[in-house]
Amino acid sequence: MTKDRFEFAILVLACAVVVYMLISILYLYVAVGESWNLVVNALFDGRVLGAIAISISSAFIVGGLAIATAIPSAYLLTYRSFRGKEIIETFLIDLPQTFPPVTEGLVYLLMFGRIGLAYTYIAVIIAKFYVSAPFAMSFATRRFREIRETGLDVIAKSLGAKTSHVLGKVLLPLSSRDLLAGFSLTWARAMGELAATLVFAGAIAWKTETIPTLVYLTAAEMPQVAIAASIIAETLSIAALLSFKWIARRRQ
Amino acid sequence: MKGLYVQNVTKCYGDVKALDQVELAVNPAEFMVVMGPSGCGKTTLLLVILGALSPDKGHIWINERDVEELPLNERNIGYVPQDFGLFPHLNVHENIAFGLRVRKHSEEKIRERVNQLLHIVDLEGLESRKPKELSAGQRQRVALARALATDPYVLLLDEPLSNIDEATKAEVRANLKEIQKKTKVTTLCVTHNPEDSFQLGERIAIMYSGRIIQCDTPQNILEKPKNELIRKLVAPMYILWKNDSARK
Repeated sequence: MTKDRFEFAILVLACAVVVYMLISILYLYVAVGESWNLVVNALFDGRVLGAIAISISSAFIVGGLAIATAIPSAYLLTYRSFRGKEIIETFLIDLPQTFPPVTEGLVYLLMFGRIGLAYTYIAVIIAKFYVSAPFAMSFATRRFREIRETGLDVIAKSLGAKTSHVLGKVLLPLSSRDLLAGFSLTWARAMGELAATLVFAGAIAWKTETIPTLVYLTAAEMPQVAIAASIIAETLSIAALLSFKWIARRRQ
Repeated sequence: MKGLYVQNVTKCYGDVKALDQVELAVNPAEFMVVMGPSGCGKTTLLLVILGALSPDKGHIWINERDVEELPLNERNIGYVPQDFGLFPHLNVHENIAFGLRVRKHSEEKIRERVNQLLHIVDLEGLESRKPKELSAGQRQRVALARALATDPYVLLLDEPLSNIDEATKAEVRANLKEIQKKTKVTTLCVTHNPEDSFQLGERIAIMYSGRIIQCDTPQNILEKPKNELIRKLVAPMYILWKNDSARK
């Protein structure tokens, strides 16, 4: 057997990346050391509980809104040809994922602050939606385009289907796994969003304070609370993502 | 005229003329085959008739009606693509029932029609199977049944035998012809295969570079090919045909 040194080098590099990413995620559980009682206590802390409630509820609302808006957006980008379509797609999907969230938070503060939306729960939703929804839009658009390539939409129409039938009986059932994947990534991104939320919605306990803002504000003065909140957030995110993946696999 | 009439249709992709003043008439209940090499415009012709593509010039008439203004979903044309295009998330029954369901037929009528079609295409007992659990021949019959469910004015078949293995091809071809005879649906089938064309078509239209260069019965095409190109295209069939005649 001849040794393929190049392949060996690639595999070593890949393993190094895997180990680095795993440590980056799991180190928090090591960092907490023997202070697990702090984590348990944090679960009963009013401020932490509030942040968990705001984070989770807003992430689910953002996930739902993202799917609801991803479907028409994906339909438009898949089935309509118009001038500037590529630019619209960039603004809708690519830019929000690369645009500095803190800047978008400021934009929203200037835009919606004057109508009294700043520092409210709705502000949390608006801020998180901008940076998270593109994941759902991207998944939906890619899947709709794949289905269009198969010509199943044309066949459905030849059988008398209207747009509502094509969407409800072909596009959505065949995209369900991708929409679920888009929802789960949107949810996870929304859970972790900090900058836009902090600038536009602030950090009012039981109103706009989320886990990331709580961690940011307590990291210097109360690191135990920050670590405990981080562990709770991380555990929730890992559990949720694995659950979504499990559901998606069952639907396959 | 009744049936299908393609009147002087031209369709270009940029500078390339995919269809060049195509003129073709298919009589009611007739099985017409358009035969030509790959890339000659056969599938484009089907998509223009179907309404998935708009012609640059010309008209499509179905049962004496110009369907130019009719959208794809109102033309009532049955279409079976090369890969059969079955909905992978629906079982055989649901695939066949699709067109009836979107037309809001009653459940009783849907069940009755689906059962009738399952009988015609000889797939009784396979109603609950998903497309991936069927053979290519069975998938083709489901696609046919689905296309016929709404009693279409015209049936369009795109290379219907190209995904069928050689061992079962003759049987599938015979089934296809039998189903068309039973249902008496006006049928336009496109294929690059001379044997399929001569076995299936009551008349054959030879297509080349976007034009119909001869349209006649299989026998006339063999005996009186309009030019050398057609003679070459149908040469393999000439030998088979002569052998068949000699045997008879």
